[in-house]
This record gives sequence, C-alpha cells and structure tokens, in this order.
Amino acid sequence: MTKHETHLALLPSGFVDLLPPEAAQEAEAIAVLMREFASFGYERIKPPMVEFEDSLLAPGPGAALAGETFRVMDPVTHRMMGIRSDITPQTARIASSRLAGEPRPLRLAYANDVLRTKASQQRTERQFCQVGCELIGAGGAAAEIESCVLALIGLDALGLKSVTIDLCLPQLVENIFDAFDVSDSDREELRGAIERREQDGVERIKGPAAKLLAKIMTASGGAEKILETLGDVPAEAKEDIQKLEAVYTGLNKAAQELGLDVSVSIDPLESRGFEYHSSIGFTLFAKGVRGELGRGGRYDVRFGEQQSGETATGFTLYMDTIRRYLPEAPKKDVVNVALDESWKTIREKQKEGQIVVRDTKSKGS
Amino acid sequence: MEREDKLILAIPKGRIYEELAPLMDKCGITPEKDFFDSNSRKLRFTSNHDNLDIIRVRAFDVATFVAHGAAQLGVVGSDAIEEFDYDELYSPLDLGIGKCRLCVAEHKDEAAKDNPQRWSHIRIVTKYPNLTKRHFAARGVQAECIKLNGAMEIAPALGLARRIVDLVSTGSTMKANDLVEIETILDVSSRLVVNRSALKTSPEAVNNWIDKFRAAV
Repeated sequence: MTKHETHLALLPSGFVDLLPPEAAQEAEAIAVLMREFASFGYERIKPPMVEFEDSLLAPGPGAALAGETFRVMDPVTHRMMGIRSDITPQTARIASSRLAGEPRPLRLAYANDVLRTKASQQRTERQFCQVGCELIGAGGAAAEIESCVLALIGLDALGLKSVTIDLCLPQLVENIFDAFDVSDSDREELRGAIERREQDGVERIKGPAAKLLAKIMTASGGAEKILETLGDVPAEAKEDIQKLEAVYTGLNKAAQELGLDVSVSIDPLESRGFEYHSSIGFTLFAKGVRGELGRGGRYDVRFGEQQSGETATGFTLYMDTIRRYLPEAPKKDVVNVALDESWKTIREKQKEGQIVVRDTKSKGS
Repeated sequence: MEREDKLILAIPKGRIYEELAPLMDKCGITPEKDFFDSNSRKLRFTSNHDNLDIIRVRAFDVATFVAHGAAQLGVVGSDAIEEFDYDELYSPLDLGIGKCRLCVAEHKDEAAKDNPQRWSHIRIVTKYPNLTKRHFAARGVQAECIKLNGAMEIAPALGLARRIVDLVSTGSTMKANDLVEIETILDVSSRLVVNRSALKTSPEAVNNWIDKFRAAV
C-alpha cells in the first residue's frame, strides 16, 4: 500500500450511505411522523437546500448558525449562498414573507436533510434529517404544550420507550444576571460552571445571583422540588416560571390521558443550544439512547431587519439518532414468482400484503 | 443488553485510587473481591449495590467512557475534563483528591533569557494538545503541540521542543531534569463526573450518588 492510498468508496467524515433496511426504515418513520403531525393540522413545506447567505443567516433564528453553515459561491450571481444547517430559520423566513398573509396560527411541518460544517460529540453525522413542526403566531402555555405533546406522540408512534422530556428556561440564567447586576467576568465564570454543572464553580462566586443559581442547581428530588426553588427568582422571570408550571402540569395530564411512557423533568438552567429561544425550551431523551432525540421551544419569528416578530413554538426530531433506536420492522412475506406469472395475480398477492419478486432467471414469456 | 436501571461507575487505575478508596467507603460502595486481586484480568466488577457496577480504566479514558454514556458516573482529573471538553459531560463535584497542577516548563538556562510576552509561535511537548492550544490561543500565541504520553521532562534536553506542558505535584521530576515552571495553566483535582443523558433520564439514581459523594467529601 502506498502511503496516501485511500479507497474510492471512502466518504468524507460525517457522511454515510444508508442501505437496506435502514434507508426504508428511516423513510417509513418519517412517513409515520408526518401522518401524525398532519392529523393535528400541520401542513408540510419543503424549503430549498440552498439560499443566499444573507437570508439564511439573517438576524433571527438563523443568525446563531453561521459557524455551522457550509457556503458556496453562486456561479451565476457571484453572491454567497449557504446550505441550510437547520430548517427552523427557513420556516421563519417563509412564515414572515410568503405566508405572511395567511391566517394565524400557522401550523407547518417539514422533513428535510440539513448539512453542518462540524460534527459534535453526540452527533458525528454532518448530514442528517430533521423532522419537525412549527406553530407560528400562538402564545401562551397551550402552544408549548401542543408542541411537546406532538413530539411525544410522534416518538410514541415510532415505538420509542422510556422517553424523558426535559423542560428548561433558556433565558433564566441571563435574567438572574441582569436582575442582580452581575459583573461581566462573573457572568463568564458562572456560565462555564453552569454548563458543566460544577457546584463548587458556582459557589466560588460571591453575591446573591450565584447563591440563587447554586440553590437551583443542587435542587434535587423531582420537578416539584425544583419548581419550589424557583419561587425566589427575580420578577423578570416570574412569567416564564408560571408558564413552566402550566406546561409541566399540562404535559403530565396529556401523558396520562394518552398512556404515554414519558417522564417530564425540569432543568431550569439548561441553555446550551437554545441560542434563539426564549421563555421555554425542551429536550427529548430516552433511556439507553446516546444523545438527544430532538429539541424545541419558543422563539421569536424575526426575519432580517424586522426588529421583532411573531411568537412561535416548534420542535425538531433528529432522525439520525432516532433511526438507531427504532424497533425492528416486522418481516413481510416475500414470494418468488416465475416471469410468466400474470400481472393480475401479482397485484392480488401484493394487495394481500405480500412482497412479490419476479424471478428474472426463470423462463417466461 | 444492560438492565435499564444499571449504573456504571468508571474509576481511574493507579495512584488516585488510594485517595478515592476512603471516599467510596464513606459512600457505602464496596467492590467485589476480584477488584482487589491484582492478578484478576477482569475489567468490570460488581459492587454491594445490585444496580451499580464498577469499571477500572485509564484515567484519561474515564472522561471518554462517561461522555459517551458507556459509563454513567466517573471519577476523573480536571486535566482530562479540560483536555477533552466533552459537551455531554457534567462535572458536579470537586472530590478534593489527586491534587496537582498543569504547568508550562522549560530548561532553566532557557528560562533565564526567555520573555513569554514576545511569543507568537511556540513548540510544546505535551499530553494535553487541545488544552495547551486553547490556553495559548486565548492570549494570541499559536502553540504547535507534539503529543507524548509520558517522559515529557526529557524532551527539552533532547531537543524535541524547548517547552513542555505537564502535570506537576511535587516538582522533583522537573528539578531532576533541570526544568523550571514558568506558568501554571490549571490547578488540577479529581472530580465526580456524570453523563448528561443519564442525569436527565435517571435523575433520582444519578442524583442519589452525587448527593452521597457530596456528603463524603
């Protein structure tokens, strides 16, 4: 072997060929999800893979994604284009431009691949499929509950067990910083310590903000206990916390009514990856599953120069993670028929649920 | 397939264990007999708790096992935590054991005439290339790292690089090799780490161990 020889079949890191049966399994799972979402009135959209960089990364949900986005030069206009790394900014663009005149709330669903420049520890794929829903123009806890429940119904329909939905308040930490006027250097240290849940790192900082954060961080003993510790948060965050309680109660009620295998947890300090979210966010996990199944929350549908826009909630499921934990599909009967078998008989067998394979090696007409 | 509620605690091989043993004792964790048998080839051990197993791996690998969810709990030095900087790793507790520091060192003759303020590019021999690069990048210095897994102290004398970044506890190895510390990058101690997904999906079980270790420290 010469030193630099690589096999022609080698793919760049983070890209995979999906073969049978995984490819069909993923497609089937997407179809199941889309049917569930459609039954709640979510209509599918299909944005393009590529947009001009200016629109894809415009202020709003897209702005946080600049570092993850592949760029190519458009040979026609010589303008820079971006390949989408997330679908939500595209739905925000569509909702605030072409569908701006449609009645609200607007319910949109999508299932598309995205491309990312960097893989992460939990996601080694750089191309993967995002399946999700956005509920645009509806405020209040009812909208969050709908997004969460829809995601849970979707995962249940796919046969995923022991799901945990973890609710968070993406702005809480910053609200506490502002309310107690925490210095920039303390903020920086506290953010790092919170990200790693380092109790001593938070306690090392003096002042009421750090004290409160430490109390929230070490609160254990279930969601109710955590909600109790949130009684002391500054006034700015009170509204979000009332909503969090409402969502928590609403989700438990839904899980019970639907008989879902779900636990609802609360981690008020989670904010990583929720850069464009406000109010409430959520992350989906399942026991024994490496990484996240999906995430969602509330955000502002700003697009471009618009200073503020409509409010929206939504979620995205990551099909690369989900695919690995799908229960095995039931085997279908496969029958081989000779080439001279009549097409009518073949169709009849297929209608009975059989897979009919025509034996091309047999003799036929 | 693992039992759903089974937790695995990853602990480092080597000298840290001597300091860790009393802590585990206080937490009420007793490993099975084979654990103490130096001839045993086993890597995974049961404990006096049905739902807690123990694995003993290299100190650096503890972080990797826990970050990827192969173990849910672990004990690992803050040096390894910083080196890998895994997203999926929470490190709630400082256990106050395995204390040392991560330092930049160079030959004493070199140190006498060196001015670190003038550096733009330096060559460093280290076991911690990521941490070292990040540390120097933050002050505008490009660190070209050569990774070694041990015997860093001999590298400057043999011309592999003029500077090293390595752990120092007493400083005697440095001294024996005519090296002097010129900067401390990180104060190191061992921490209790947990996998993020495990904490979210089994909060009671994982928090229970965090609380026990907190009480033991």
